[in-house]
Amino acid sequence: MKPVSPGRLARSRGGQSGFSVVEGIGGLVVFALLMGALTYGMGSLFSEQAQPQVAFGQQAYARAPSFDNFRDAVDLHAAFSNAVDQADSVIVLGGARSHPTLDPNGPSSALSASFEDCVLTAAAAGGGLRAYSSWDQRQLNFSQFSAYFTASPDPADFTILTVQGLSRITSITQQRRHRAVVNGQDLALYEVTYQPVDWSSGMPSLPTNASTGTRPAYSYRVYYAAAEDVWSLPPGATHYWYRADTAWTRDHEGPSRVVFADPYALAGQDGSSPVSPMSRFIYFLAQQR
Amino acid sequence: MKAPRKTRGMASFAIFLFALVSVLVLVANFKLNFAVSSTSDAYDSFSSQLVEKNGIAQLVKESVLAVGETAISTSSGTLQSEIQARLSSIQFPSDVTISLDPGTPVPPVPANPFFPSAAPAAASQPAYFTPAGGVRALAGMGNLLSSLCLLGPVADLGRLTVVFDRSTSVSASDNRTYTVNADLFSVPLTNVDVVAYGLPVTGSVPGAAPAVPQGFFAPDVSCLTVTSNNPSSDPTAFGDLFASSGTEQLPYQYRNAVSFCWNAYEYLWSPAYQNALLGTALLGGAVYNFSSPPDQDVPGVTVSGTSATVDCSAVVGSVVAIVDPDGTGSVTVVGSPSPGAPFVLVVRNTAGQRTPVTFTGDNARPAIFYLENAGVTFAGNPQIQGALFLDPNTTASGSVTWFGHFSFYGPTSPLGTLGITVADSPAVKASLAPLAPRVLLVSTSATR
Repeated sequence: MKPVSPGRLARSRGGQSGFSVVEGIGGLVVFALLMGALTYGMGSLFSEQAQPQVAFGQQAYARAPSFDNFRDAVDLHAAFSNAVDQADSVIVLGGARSHPTLDPNGPSSALSASFEDCVLTAAAAGGGLRAYSSWDQRQLNFSQFSAYFTASPDPADFTILTVQGLSRITSITQQRRHRAVVNGQDLALYEVTYQPVDWSSGMPSLPTNASTGTRPAYSYRVYYAAAEDVWSLPPGATHYWYRADTAWTRDHEGPSRVVFADPYALAGQDGSSPVSPMSRFIYFLAQQR
Repeated sequence: MKAPRKTRGMASFAIFLFALVSVLVLVANFKLNFAVSSTSDAYDSFSSQLVEKNGIAQLVKESVLAVGETAISTSSGTLQSEIQARLSSIQFPSDVTISLDPGTPVPPVPANPFFPSAAPAAASQPAYFTPAGGVRALAGMGNLLSSLCLLGPVADLGRLTVVFDRSTSVSASDNRTYTVNADLFSVPLTNVDVVAYGLPVTGSVPGAAPAVPQGFFAPDVSCLTVTSNNPSSDPTAFGDLFASSGTEQLPYQYRNAVSFCWNAYEYLWSPAYQNALLGTALLGGAVYNFSSPPDQDVPGVTVSGTSATVDCSAVVGSVVAIVDPDGTGSVTVVGSPSPGAPFVLVVRNTAGQRTPVTFTGDNARPAIFYLENAGVTFAGNPQIQGALFLDPNTTASGSVTWFGHFSFYGPTSPLGTLGITVADSPAVKASLAPLAPRVLLVSTSATR
């Protein structure tokens, strides 16, 4: 009589059937192969959602498109829009054509990220008729700004100050584009920050981010491969002018076109494609309100 | 060969797991895209409503100005009818309706009285952040308004509130109430130191700003002119935002400046205003007419033949007028060496040759000089406090230092023949505010 293995004997005694050890191992191998294939397939399919991050300048930048940063961007731009809406004037520093004859091409200097002044000291007793352009403000407040002007500004860089009266800064908005090679990748890193100034008590204070307790209160940071950082409407500021008339003190700047980085937009202009990469955060900001 | 049942079970389990994970990943991706779409839509709604409410605010401002602007003609309608008319001409998205809130009455536009038709509202020098003398703080009303208001004393005419209901058939959550606050200020025209004005209805507007000598405007002197944005008309203009086809339209940024530089001067030189000044002078027996001399002497005016001399120190009352309907007379204005109550001098010549008007001697008594069809000469480089309004036909020559306001017709600037130095004088502005024509300036803001 042929001997019966104890396991099989046990199963036959209970009337049960099941995997042998070999079958079990085979099943695990097949399962592992399937999961590996699934993971690889999904990873390839949704690689844009992979959200890899890089560290630059002690900040984390997410690869665009990034939903977390997009959510932060919406919060930032809602706050920024309200600040612009309530401002008496808006100062845009940086970008192209900051003056139609003295700086027609740019890019002009923005203010460095460390600028956190709450008052424009030179303008406090100034005349509003003489502050009709960001260029006027740049000249008027030169002694205050000069220590903060950025060297070798990038065309995408700008600083936006919303002002009440002629002196009270109510918000500071910055955009910076950094070029860097990180982990062997040539990257274009965008940093957008918004810092409100609270004057409700009569004295200025700088609120912090509600969740982190740090400044700036609002921010988002994303990056693209440098080769993909090509847009139909490039991020940055472009100043438009009605006139520049020194005799009648009519430096009348029109609205500036300001294009912010969009964390949920795919860059990379393809001339043959009917689809143009464009930020949804574009403003025409009148200097005078 | 058919696979054993146990093998089929194992494969089915693996396929089930694969399908489960696939579905989970797809659902997660769908939710992510849905979240992006929803967030984008919400932000777009926020942004478009921001633009919408600011458009409504601008509509209210234009309606207020239509009723109450200092201009050659204003609407006889109510603020409500003006708003309704503008609202009905705006095309909103098909699902959006915006209407005046039926439960909130639209207030009337307050009067902007000024000399001589009525006593003007009391004026005070405003400030950005603190109320001053009954004038509210100006911060938050926009630099386009505050830059003009801060040049001198103004009167606060208060705030009008107009409420609009916005409803949409797409999403009840996007129904809104837009509350528009319109802040009104009465600003003396004499607050701006130098104005090169235009007359868009009865004359023309300057294509380019008049040429001025280098350093003509001292740092504290305010000046205002509104010219073409066409680079071919105004060499200081740039084509960045200029539409070369069709009728030129000024950007809305210039609206307040147009109230000052164009519309107010149309009214100022209109028969309505000039006649009102003459009427007031007539009531006080202070009109000298070369064609029909009055029976009684006019205080402060001495006449010899066809020459009248106005002694500023001897003028009584608030207005004196010299009328030269045939262009046969001449006028000499002798300044007052000592301060005194401000007054208005009208020299009116509606036909014939220009009436020669000669200013001589320093004048420390602030006065508003309206000179119509006159040939002005300043003798001996006098220093004069006051406001000098030259009509489009008036010429000027000589040299003068002027403390206060100076305005002239932009298309025919007298600066080629007149050596004038203008100095800003807050004291003169304050003195002239009760007698100066006033401009209604409006700032509107809206909340949603």
